[in-house]
Amino acid sequence: MARIRFQSVTKRYANGATAVAGLDLDIADQEFLVLLGPSGCGKSTTLNMIAGLEEISEGVLLFDDQIVNNVPAHKRDVAMVFQSYALYPHMTVFENIAFGLRMRRVGEADLRMRVMQAADKLEITHLLERRPSQLSGGQRQRVALGRAMVREPAVFLMDEPLSNLDASLRISMRAQIRHLHTQMRSTFVYVTHDQAEALTLADRIVVMKDGTIQQIGTPDEIYESPTNVFVASFLGSPTINLLEGALERENGAACFKRGTLTIPLPALQGGARNIVLGLRPEDVGTPGDGPQLHGVVDTAMPSGADQFLGVLVDDAMLFLRVGKDVRVRAGEAISFGLNPERLHVFDRETGRSLRGAA
Amino acid sequence: MAIRAVSHDERSAFGLLAGLVAVLMAVTAFPILYSLWISLFAVNLRRPLRMPFVGLDNYIAVLSSPAFWESAGRTALFSAMAVAAVLVIATLVAVLLDQEFPGRRVLSACLLIPWAIPSVANGLMWKWIYDANYGALNGLLLQLGFINSAMIWLGDANRTLPLIANAFIWKEVPLAAILLLVTLKSIPSDLYAAAAVDGAPAFRRFVAITLPALRPGFLLVALYEAMMAIRHFDLFFLLTEGGPGGASDVVAWRIYVETFRNLSFGTGAAMSYILALATLLMSYALIRSMAEKL
Amino acid sequence: MIVPRPIGPRVVRAAILAAASVLLLAYVLAPVAWLLSSSLQTEREIVSIPPHWIPDHPTAQNFRAIFATGLGLAQPSPNGADPASGGFIPSVAGNLLPAMGNSFIVATAVVILNLLIGVPAAYAIAKIRFRGRGVALYAILATRVIPDIALVVPFFLVVRKLGLLDNLASLIITYLAITVPFSVFVLASFFEQMPDDLDRAARVDGCSRLQVLLRVFLPLARPALVAISLFAFLASWNEFLLALMFTQTAASQTLPIIVAGITSDFTVSFSFLNAAGVLAVLPPVALAVIFERYIVSGLTAGAVKG
Ligand SMILES: Nc1ncnc2c1ncn2[C@@H]1O[C@H](COP(=O)(O)OP(=O)(O)OP(=O)(O)O)[C@@H](O)[C@H]1O
Ligand SMILES: [Mg+2]
Repeated sequence: MARIRFQSVTKRYANGATAVAGLDLDIADQEFLVLLGPSGCGKSTTLNMIAGLEEISEGVLLFDDQIVNNVPAHKRDVAMVFQSYALYPHMTVFENIAFGLRMRRVGEADLRMRVMQAADKLEITHLLERRPSQLSGGQRQRVALGRAMVREPAVFLMDEPLSNLDASLRISMRAQIRHLHTQMRSTFVYVTHDQAEALTLADRIVVMKDGTIQQIGTPDEIYESPTNVFVASFLGSPTINLLEGALERENGAACFKRGTLTIPLPALQGGARNIVLGLRPEDVGTPGDGPQLHGVVDTAMPSGADQFLGVLVDDAMLFLRVGKDVRVRAGEAISFGLNPERLHVFDRETGRSLRGAA
Repeated sequence: MAIRAVSHDERSAFGLLAGLVAVLMAVTAFPILYSLWISLFAVNLRRPLRMPFVGLDNYIAVLSSPAFWESAGRTALFSAMAVAAVLVIATLVAVLLDQEFPGRRVLSACLLIPWAIPSVANGLMWKWIYDANYGALNGLLLQLGFINSAMIWLGDANRTLPLIANAFIWKEVPLAAILLLVTLKSIPSDLYAAAAVDGAPAFRRFVAITLPALRPGFLLVALYEAMMAIRHFDLFFLLTEGGPGGASDVVAWRIYVETFRNLSFGTGAAMSYILALATLLMSYALIRSMAEKL
Repeated sequence: MIVPRPIGPRVVRAAILAAASVLLLAYVLAPVAWLLSSSLQTEREIVSIPPHWIPDHPTAQNFRAIFATGLGLAQPSPNGADPASGGFIPSVAGNLLPAMGNSFIVATAVVILNLLIGVPAAYAIAKIRFRGRGVALYAILATRVIPDIALVVPFFLVVRKLGLLDNLASLIITYLAITVPFSVFVLASFFEQMPDDLDRAARVDGCSRLQVLLRVFLPLARPALVAISLFAFLASWNEFLLALMFTQTAASQTLPIIVAGITSDFTVSFSFLNAAGVLAVLPPVALAVIFERYIVSGLTAGAVKG
């Protein structure tokens, strides 16, 4: 049982670098929370503060209602999986998994049972007598998971645990981790810079940048309603198309203007200003009743189930995803239908979404 | 919520460091300060009850004594000879050990022998080799016909310092070679491959690639060996006791004589302090470069 | 620096390498071989001109005399003559074994204290970011440039005041000054190379800092521990200057002191002198040759890490 709360937490390293600034975050008990952001944004630092591996410079960290700022790592009921796995090289797999239990003086019989159970679940029973150096990357990863699992901790922390695995293994491990979460009833905090991982695993995602939180929300909220340009462009693959232009009002209705281009926008606050229009590659359809987009095909790249088109609209190149059935060649004109509700509109100065209420 | 000034991590660090701090305080910091203190007094164990404060007089006396500067000159000469020879020989040894050939491992194991033997045994060994009557040096040179009559090697004031330096060099080469070898190993081998493809002959490759790459190693070894040579005492005690006629009267020997034969502890302490400061200044660069590595 | 070369010069290269190896081997071994050869000669043979490079009649009489008197099985000859030529035993012969014992006690104590003090300190310096870490590092390095001769005067006065002159304790304590900083430096370099995540994983798994050190880092540090134990042992075994100042009688004199005494004693035969030298040389040389790998890696870690 652990609800984790950060209250205006700041972390400054000894060299003066501020890694996390004024963090406010409330992680519910048994939630699966993913910290997502580019390299150096403070994800690991945040995780390490939960683990007790880094001091908190300012602010308060609470587990349930207890302030844990000064509780050292070994006295917190926390387990952690590291990107480097950090297995103890001088111990067998069995001893690696059992180590945390031994440190907590779990009886030998109970310990053996729990290690065997964990090994069984992770299908590494046949490896128990090996040393870490005799294991493949994927096997090491499982041992690292097992080591955290047997502890049955209140808080389960993972720092990019899958980033050293090859692509297919990564996908199957995602499912295992998700499964682990439902079984374990612990609070999971998971760090990644891989948006696909975040979107598949998380109950809620925290998007970070430069030590501050950009947005907190469910994967759908984050993807569908990014609160700023950074979040919008960090999620989605290929990335969202961003068009700079102006917000103008015609008869009270908002529309986006850029050169020859005029796109009607959904209801939003604010008057005329410079804006950035965001259009996800998949948010285009066949021309219908709604607003339309006309352009010239520049490139067409088939990609498995569907294809990507580079389309020159006005003077901007947009990357769009369409079905295979759309047969076009470079140089041909093409038209798309747009759903105004799926357009993202940001203030160009602040980067903030103008669809705040949505 | 106030954060405690000393975190639990720092508290464990201080606990783990307690032993080291105690040792450094007791056997390093304290003696250094104590010797600074002593150097300001006219301490003479022959007159144990009188210990007048003399300020910087000891330093002035030492620094204005021509004999001290002569000793300092000998120390400098000895160190220069020793460091130069160690560098040259150690470079050759390192280059040899950098090659792949059968017996290399045996050779590098044997190389440790001079490094390991006590300096007293080293002194005894060379004193016996240099012996004027039955020594191996005379024996060998006579047998080979290089000299016609036995020489009194250590009795010749012009030869004393080089001969002592030779004994010092013999013992110091292994460590220097090991340190240079590490530097050599860190030269990327594609540099050599590229040069070989360019058709550069071996000697040119050595001058163009190896020597420049060895520079940090040279610096380290030179400073370290200079430190060792400047403070060296054992061989002077064992081989010549500062003789003949003061020909091997170096600063380290002078400190010993001043302190334990003349029992002028104040002067001895002042001299040690001057020597320590000189070494410290000289090795400042070395400390800097090593601290950056950690 | 393994350079592929055409076949022709390969023979030349092999010849050069062989010649250089022989030359180096001779340079390193010849003086020691001469020491050993001299120790096995009789008084008569050792004063022959030209010298007998290899003894005609090798004899272990010197060593026998050292062990017999050292173990109390024989008495030194009153006139202090030479054992190798006729059963006379110099008076100092009986001091060699006890001195060796003293050296061994001192060196072993210094090794143990080095481990007890150095290991925790090195771990803290390598893996804990505490305020003053930089200062600690500089202090440790600075001690390495202080000439031991500069410590002699204050040491002497303190040791005398504590009444520890002619007591092994004075050697053990002062040898810490010349060994501990180096041990800490070598070990800290070693710990530094171990991944931080290992330290973090163990702490999350429930280890206090001390437990991380004992259960994870110490078992992994065996090579470095061997290396620093050897360095501390050899440095103590070989140390001369401080022992010369602090020891006065056979109760505390270490092997280098007795050997130095014999070196300047004109009544002792050259062959006995060399036997004493062999005795002082044998233990450290054996250790060095057996543990060569550990020593080389330790030395490089201590000096030019990375
Ligand atoms: N020990 C440290 N000392 C000083 N600065 C640090 C330290 N650790 C991290 N930083 C800095 O703090 C910032 C946040 O680092 P952190 O490791 O939390 O980032 P991250 O989001 O985990 O990045 P990555 O995806 O690369 O792991 C970075 O700018 C980093 O350079
Ligand atoms: Mg990170």
